[in-house]
Amino acid sequence: MLLSVLAACGTPDSTDHTSRLLRGNGAEPESLDPHAVRSEAAGNILRDIGEGLVSFTADGRIVAGVAESWTISPDGLEYEFLLRPDARWSNGDPITADDFVYSFRRLADPGTAAFYASLLGAIVNAEAITRGEMPPERLAVTVLDDGRLHIRLKQATAYFLQLLSFPSTYPVHRDSVERYGTDFARPGRLLSNGAYRLQERVVGSHVKLTRNPFYWNDAQTRIDEVIFYALPDNMAELLRFRAGELDITSAIPAGSFARLNRDMPALLRVAPYLATYYLGFNLHREPFAGNRSLRRALSLAIDREVITQRVLGNGEQPAYSWTPPGINGYLPPPVGYEQWPPGQRLAEARRLYREAGYGPENGPEMELRFNTSEAHQRIAVAVQAMWKEALGLEVTLVQEEFRVMLQKIRGGQVNGLFRSSWIADYDDPLTFAEVLASDSATNMTGYNNPEYDSLLEKAAQEHNATKRYALLEKAEALAMEDVPLIPVYHYVSKHLVASRVGGWQDHALDYHMSKDLFLIPEGDGRQ
Amino acid sequence: MIRYAIQRFLGAIPTLLILIALAFIMIRVAPGGPFDAEKQLLPEIEANLRAAYHLDEPLVQQFGRYLYALIQGDFGPSFQYRDHTVTELIMDGFPVSLRLGGLAMLLALIVGVSLGTLAAFRQNTPTDYTVMGVAMTGISIPNFVMAPLMILLFAVYLKWLPAGGLGDGGIANLVLPVIALALPQIAYVARLTRGSMIEVLRSNFIRTASAQGLPMRTVIVQHALKPALLPVISYIGPATAAIITGSVVIEQIFGVPGLGRYFVQGALNRDYTLVMGVVVFYGVLIISFNFLVDLLYGWLDPRVKY
Amino acid sequence: MGNPLLQVSGLNVTFATNDGAVNAVRDLGFEISRGETLGIVGESGSGKSQTVLALMGLLADNGQAQGSASFDGQQLLGLSSDELNRIRGTRISMIFQDPMTSLNPFLKIGRQMSLVLTQHQGLSRRAAMKQCADMLDAVHIPEAQRRLSMYPHELSGGMRQRVMIASALLCRPALLIADEPTTALDVTVQAQILGLMRELRTDFDTATILITHDLGVVAGLCDRVIVMRDGRCREAGTVDQIFYRPADEYTRELLAAVPRLDFERPQAEVTAVDLVVAQEQPPAKKNDRVILLQVDSLQVFFKVPGPGIFSASQTLKAVDGVSFGLVPGETLGVVGESGCGKSTLARGILRLVDVTGGRVCMLGRDLGVMDDNALKEARSDMQIIFQDPFASLNPRMMVRDIVAEPLQTHQPDLDGAAVNGKVVRMLQRVGLEPGHMNRYPHEFSGGQCQRIGIARALIVEPRLILCDEPVSALDVSIQAQIVDLLMELQASLDLSLIFIAHDLAVVQQISHRVMVMYLGRVVEVADRYSLYAHPKHPYTRALIEAVPIADPEIERRKSSTGLEGDVPSPLDPPSGCAFRTRCRYAAERCALERPRLRMVDETAVACHRVGEI
Repeated sequence: MLLSVLAACGTPDSTDHTSRLLRGNGAEPESLDPHAVRSEAAGNILRDIGEGLVSFTADGRIVAGVAESWTISPDGLEYEFLLRPDARWSNGDPITADDFVYSFRRLADPGTAAFYASLLGAIVNAEAITRGEMPPERLAVTVLDDGRLHIRLKQATAYFLQLLSFPSTYPVHRDSVERYGTDFARPGRLLSNGAYRLQERVVGSHVKLTRNPFYWNDAQTRIDEVIFYALPDNMAELLRFRAGELDITSAIPAGSFARLNRDMPALLRVAPYLATYYLGFNLHREPFAGNRSLRRALSLAIDREVITQRVLGNGEQPAYSWTPPGINGYLPPPVGYEQWPPGQRLAEARRLYREAGYGPENGPEMELRFNTSEAHQRIAVAVQAMWKEALGLEVTLVQEEFRVMLQKIRGGQVNGLFRSSWIADYDDPLTFAEVLASDSATNMTGYNNPEYDSLLEKAAQEHNATKRYALLEKAEALAMEDVPLIPVYHYVSKHLVASRVGGWQDHALDYHMSKDLFLIPEGDGRQ
Repeated sequence: MIRYAIQRFLGAIPTLLILIALAFIMIRVAPGGPFDAEKQLLPEIEANLRAAYHLDEPLVQQFGRYLYALIQGDFGPSFQYRDHTVTELIMDGFPVSLRLGGLAMLLALIVGVSLGTLAAFRQNTPTDYTVMGVAMTGISIPNFVMAPLMILLFAVYLKWLPAGGLGDGGIANLVLPVIALALPQIAYVARLTRGSMIEVLRSNFIRTASAQGLPMRTVIVQHALKPALLPVISYIGPATAAIITGSVVIEQIFGVPGLGRYFVQGALNRDYTLVMGVVVFYGVLIISFNFLVDLLYGWLDPRVKY
Repeated sequence: MGNPLLQVSGLNVTFATNDGAVNAVRDLGFEISRGETLGIVGESGSGKSQTVLALMGLLADNGQAQGSASFDGQQLLGLSSDELNRIRGTRISMIFQDPMTSLNPFLKIGRQMSLVLTQHQGLSRRAAMKQCADMLDAVHIPEAQRRLSMYPHELSGGMRQRVMIASALLCRPALLIADEPTTALDVTVQAQILGLMRELRTDFDTATILITHDLGVVAGLCDRVIVMRDGRCREAGTVDQIFYRPADEYTRELLAAVPRLDFERPQAEVTAVDLVVAQEQPPAKKNDRVILLQVDSLQVFFKVPGPGIFSASQTLKAVDGVSFGLVPGETLGVVGESGCGKSTLARGILRLVDVTGGRVCMLGRDLGVMDDNALKEARSDMQIIFQDPFASLNPRMMVRDIVAEPLQTHQPDLDGAAVNGKVVRMLQRVGLEPGHMNRYPHEFSGGQCQRIGIARALIVEPRLILCDEPVSALDVSIQAQIVDLLMELQASLDLSLIFIAHDLAVVQQISHRVMVMYLGRVVEVADRYSLYAHPKHPYTRALIEAVPIADPEIERRKSSTGLEGDVPSPLDPPSGCAFRTRCRYAAERCALERPRLRMVDETAVACHRVGEI
């Protein structure tokens, strides 16, 4: 009796006719202020409630956003955007060029302390403003008239439009910000300009969005309500999906790929994801400083196929290049040994190892450092075994808490290697290439090759897309020859998507806006 | 009594100050900072962030600033959840954890004391072994194993209960997390009750009560229960303080927006103010609950005087 | 006489243990008539308690009773607990030894008493309370109504035992079983309780089974007696038969072991008494007038928090101006009721507690002005033996280590072999085997544990041993052995003893001089003979009168006017003479002026009216 009452309580709400999409969203979003965020969880929500000057299609092509069209000067420095006359805030106020000027200045303003202030780095004066050397008013983003916005870059940036689809470049509503200060991004206060608007937020539980009737393209929005659940535990998320309480999961639990692929192959969506898992060398220290043969030997001695298929088994792709294949049409240069049979790779690895001055009896002393996680540990153990077998090398595994390890890496204190990964910020090979530039803040290995830097510099000046890619390919080939790091695998994005959800498409950066989705009315496709 | 309360209150202040100072030093000694990530921030941006949160000031000054705000009830802004203050996070999360933990503790007490008494009364019989065996299992199976199993059974297969979230705040959503949270406590309380009940049942005054021809039920309820509960009371004080501040495992598995995850996430994210906030909050709770337990003790045991 | 009320025959009680079945009671038979009082006497382990627990159906879970016990025509053995519960508390009641632990400390007196009535007579709570108050009145508890809402710990030991008796009598039982009802009490209180039981026996016409190890108690109260040993009845008979014409060897031994205070009994009747006299203490050698220990006006006060929120703390004067001297080889006995400050005095002498005033000099050196090292050295001359032999030995240490422990402090440079040698000699000295060295305390009996405690005290070759109730927890025959051992050690080692006990008979036996304390003060000091034969202070007299004598004639002759009431609170002692509130000779002057010790004959006594009474 009691149980039947409980069962009645537990039935998902199906009395109203609002269509509602339930999305697992991983971690709790740290904020909904576009200038205070940096996580994927926050980005997913912001992409639903906001829109930049440009937007993208479900499969990742850049399309018009708030700007219905734009012109770029032949030197690639001047951008002029024509805003939609029907672009509105979620309270019906029109969006003007002034809103963007205000928002961009706020993003660059050091007082805002925005994580992604660097997105504007290409704009004239932006960097100086962020450093506090110039007032925000000097930012080269100007109003031509209410409907026209002008941006001037200090150097041509091929992927600039991409950056303008990034949530931190979305406009914020000036009056609310000035009225509520840093607390403006809350239900009842936050005005946004996307297909949805913020209805409710319970920290640690969920964010509820409802359709924004003032969105210029509201006619195309097919789902009325979206709830993003904060579910950092992938196993819990999977259980809720299986109980019919989620339509889309943010990920799948480690080690569950094979089982899900067998039990619900139609619901499992796996797509290449622009991210690379790698082992970085500390090039500041022995034994790797100046010892390319050793680095190359270690790279060759790792059997990526074994790691992706046997150790991980989640559909990841073996990585030989730094840049994942297929990033906006870019193909990373081959490193040469991808197609070698294992025997040949090992022979070459041993030869290089000897050349580096080591042998099975006298291996270098080093550690392989990884942050606490079962998956990292399994990979580290596999790599340790591979090196031991191939080269007789004994590497010590060190497990550390994430931020402890980060600090050691950045201080150049790692004795040997560390594991890390890089996820594309935007759909352009430069997002990977710039990591290895000698002046990059995210260059954790200490790689410093002037020739590489100058190739990147040349690519930046190059307006011709094909030639630019050629330069980037050349740079990458050079870097891979130097082996500052060992790419291990390229990520894939993995979601469970209920069969009642339509319109789902693979996206290289794993962005899936709710406005592009719809619910198939008949039949309950969830399991 | 009142003097005792005042004494305890004054005595708690230095304890809290030491706690605050220790927490402040320890979280800052931990390597890494609140804004670290794999995508390294530009130095100027990091500098802006540090300035915005006064992390560029000398430590002593930061500590003074923290204490000054704390006296006014302000735990400061969270470094991780930038549009929330720590006070807001705690005040949003605590009612949820309190409701969940309070119900779990209540359940644990009712079921645990009953089972423990039953086991003690039927000491060394199959009933006893069964109850204590189940209790041992309850203690040894960790929550992160038990909770998913419960969801799998009751939400996925039987579809009796929702798998997680708070829903509309109905009871159905609370059933599984409360039970999962209560299970290990039930086990502890049952074991404690059994142990102390056995001891009490051996005491002379129970023999007197039996010699007076009182039936076992009366003997247990009227004579034995109160003294047998004393060790349970001293356990549930700190246990309640711990359980009503949430459990990170239960919250993550059931998607419950409580306080518990801040203890772990705050530390992992080096969210200094959040860590400080929950530590101070927890410290105050522990101190208060220990005080309550002492009061309860005094009420239960007439020999204790304040 | 008619049918006996209770007829027990062929009673066997066995306990299933890991070492097989243990027979606690074997083939026991007795009967008791209405209104009669039966004494069951025996030492611990004799099966006397298990006998009555078996009748009450209160044996431990592993216990099993066989035989027959017919109570008023109903067979008690083998009844279900429901059937038993209709008899227990109504027709048969029981009172237990320790009233502190046998009353529920968590329930108010009224609550735990009234449960019996609400259960058995279906009374309302109010009516039950009324009856309880009446019953408390009947057992002479003053302010009965107010006591109902008090907790056991708020009552004195004597009051608690009265409450126990009152609870037992609530349903007017036909049979009252009293298991060592006075053992944990002071002699004065014991006398009160025994008087009460005598009175109630008449008032309520209740048959009584009195279980005790104390032959004096039996002599005063019982009509018939059973002597038990090892579960068997050794001898049964009327009280006069047992005391004056004991047939069994063991009965005679028991009687012989009883230390007696009376010097006026007919010598021819009991040869045992001569044995006792023979064992008594020879006079201390007074040839050297060296004073070993001199205590001058010793005061030990404790601060106790006041009752109110802002009230100042109160002072508890546990020891208030005690002076005496002790010569080598002398034994000073210290007696008094619980709470008179005798244990605190010992701790004050050893400086185990902070001393408020006065001086303690050991061989002329003032302990109060010594630094830590000197004090440590002085302490090697002064050792202490405690009351509870089990509690005062660390259960996790082997006997060797326990005995050798003081050597670590006082002779740290001894090597292992030397220590072992000393330990072996000392164990032999106190009557233990050298082989006992490697055992743990729980393997020993109470008497043996006390021997270990003595060995530990003696190993540093002290000049003085303070014995704080060293035999109170032991059986009579074991008591006698330990006292003999102490006397023998004293004689051979020229030890001085301070012997603290509430049992006047034991003190009399071992002491050269006896000091009587009341509320932290000395009321009388005299040599043993004077004190017991011609006590001067009314309190001393009352104490001595209160001791039951193992002689039915004398007990029957005793007037029932014992010492009444309890010791006043030491927080608020009466003005003038502290004893005046209980003294039948108290006069106006006694309330005004504090009497000082003065010499009357050979006795120092603190009483204003000592000449007049």
